[in-house]
Amino acid sequence: MKYLIMMFGGIGAATQDRSAEWIAGMHELLMKLDTELKESGECVASDALVDPSQAKTVRFINGAPVPTDGPFAEVKESLAGYWIVDVDEERALQIASRVVAYTEYPMEVRRIMDHSAQP
Amino acid sequence: MNGQHRVEDLLREVAPQVLGALVRRCGQFDACEDAVQEALLAATVQWPVEGVPDRPRSWLLTVASRALVDAWRADSARRRRETVAAHDPTDYALAADPAGIPDADLPGADRDDTLVLLFLCCHPALSPPSQLALTLRAAGGLTTAQIAAAFLVPEATIAKRISRAKRRIRAAGARFGLPAQPQRTERLGVVLHVLYLIFNEGYTTSSGPALQRTDLIAEAIRLTRLLHRLLPGEAEVAGLLALMLFTDARGAARTDTDGRIVPLSDQQRELWDTAVIAEGQAILTRTLGTGPVGPYQLQAAIAALHDEAPTAGATDWPQILALYDVLTTVAPGPVVTLSRAVALAHVHGPRAGLALLGTLDTDERMAHTHRLEAVRAHLLEQAGDITAARHSYLRAAKITTSLPEQRYLELRAARLHQPAPLANPGD
Repeated sequence: MKYLIMMFGGIGAATQDRSAEWIAGMHELLMKLDTELKESGECVASDALVDPSQAKTVRFINGAPVPTDGPFAEVKESLAGYWIVDVDEERALQIASRVVAYTEYPMEVRRIMDHSAQP
Repeated sequence: MNGQHRVEDLLREVAPQVLGALVRRCGQFDACEDAVQEALLAATVQWPVEGVPDRPRSWLLTVASRALVDAWRADSARRRRETVAAHDPTDYALAADPAGIPDADLPGADRDDTLVLLFLCCHPALSPPSQLALTLRAAGGLTTAQIAAAFLVPEATIAKRISRAKRRIRAAGARFGLPAQPQRTERLGVVLHVLYLIFNEGYTTSSGPALQRTDLIAEAIRLTRLLHRLLPGEAEVAGLLALMLFTDARGAARTDTDGRIVPLSDQQRELWDTAVIAEGQAILTRTLGTGPVGPYQLQAAIAALHDEAPTAGATDWPQILALYDVLTTVAPGPVVTLSRAVALAHVHGPRAGLALLGTLDTDERMAHTHRLEAVRAHLLEQAGDITAARHSYLRAAKITTSLPEQRYLELRAARLHQPAPLANPGD
C-alpha cells in the first residue's frame, strides 16, 4: 500500500522561535529519516519543496485562469515536503509520528489510490 | 569490476578520436555519431569477455564504419527520392574499407580531430543545453544515461536533445574542420564557456548521499586539460584549467560528513588538495604575463589567493579586491559585483560592501537568486545589524531552490535569534 506523508510550513513560520540547536536537530532528523527509509526500501519517493512564499497559484478570476503570486493555503498550512512510502497504515503513521514527536507540528498521512479496478 | 572500469575509461578516451576520424572522412556528423555509439555498445559488451583488442581504435572504426554503411543502405531507398546534396559516392568506399585508414594515421590526426569535435559541439546553431549535452557525448564519450544522471533529467530528454542537436548541426551545414578567424576565437570562447558550465553544474549540485552520478567536475577538467594540451598558447584556456583546479582542490572541505554546507571561511584547509593547488599554481605562473589578461585568468588568480592562504584570516583580501577591480572592467556583471562586494567588505568594512550591494537591488538578473540576499545577510551580521541580518537570512532561505543552502541559511538566521526571556528564570 502506498501512503503520502506530508509535512507543512515554511521558513520563518512554524519554526521561527526555535533555537539554532533545535533547528539543527530537525535537519538531522529529516536527513536521517530520509536515509533510513531509502535504505529500508520503504521510500518510493521523497522531496522538499521550495518555500511556499515562492509558489504561484492559478486561480479562476473573471472567467479566466490567472496565475497569482503566493500559495493556495496559508504559509503555515502549505506543503513543505513529502514522502511516498510503500508500507501499511500502521507503519506510515509510525513514520509520521517520529517527525511530529520532534517538531510538535501536525503531519498528514493519506493513502494513495490504486489504479486497478477492484471487485 | 576493475576490468569493466578500464574498458569504460579506454572507450571514453578513444571514442572522440574514432568519431573524429570517421567524420573527417565521411562527413555527416549525425550519422557518424550514431554509428560510433553502436560500436561503443558492441565494445562494452564484447571486450570484457573477449579481451581488449590490440588496436582498439581500428576495431571501433571497423565496427562503426560497418554500422554506417548498413544505415546508409537501409536509408538508400528513401534517399533516392530525396535531393542528395553533394554526396560523394567515394564516401561509401571509404566507409566500407576501414583498412584504408591505417592506425598510424590516428595518433597525430586524432588530437586535431578532438579539437574540431569540441568546436563542432559548440556550434552557434545549438542552444547552451544542447552544446553541453553534445560536448559531453561526442567529446567526452559519456553515454546518454550518464549525461542524464549527471543533470538529473530523464534519459529520454537527453536523447532527444542530442538528436536535435545533431540534426541542427547537419542543417546548419557545419563542416568538419576548424572555423576560420575571427569565428575560431569566438568559438573558442563558447567552448570555454560550455566547459565552465559543465564544471559549475558538477560543483554546485548537492553532494548528498553517494548516488551513481557521473563526475562532471572530473569530466570538465579532463576536457579542459585536453584543450590546454592542444592549444598551449591560449592563455584563457590555461586560465580556465587553473580556475577549475583551484576550485576543485577545495572540494573535500565544502560539505561536512552530513552533507551540510561549509562556507570558505570555515573550511578545514588541511582537507584541501595541495597537489592540485600546486598544479594550478604552475599553470598560472606559466600563463600570466604572456598576453592580455582575460577573465578566466583573473578568476584563477583570485582563486589562487584563496587557496594559498593557510588560514581564512591570512587571506590577502587587498590583492583579491584589486583583481576584482580589474575583472569588473574586463568582464562586468552582477555576480562579479557580488563577489567584489565581499572583498570590499573585508578591506574597507561591511558597510562599504553593503553599499555596493545596493547597486544590485534593481538588477533583474539578481531578482531570482538567493545569492544577493545571502551575501547581504552575512555583511549585515558583520556590521552588527542583527535584526536586519536575520531578516535577510530568512529572506534568502525562502528564495533559494537548493535544500542544503536553505538549511544553512535557516540555521544562520536561528543563531541570530534572541529567544524570548523565560517567564520564571528560576524554574
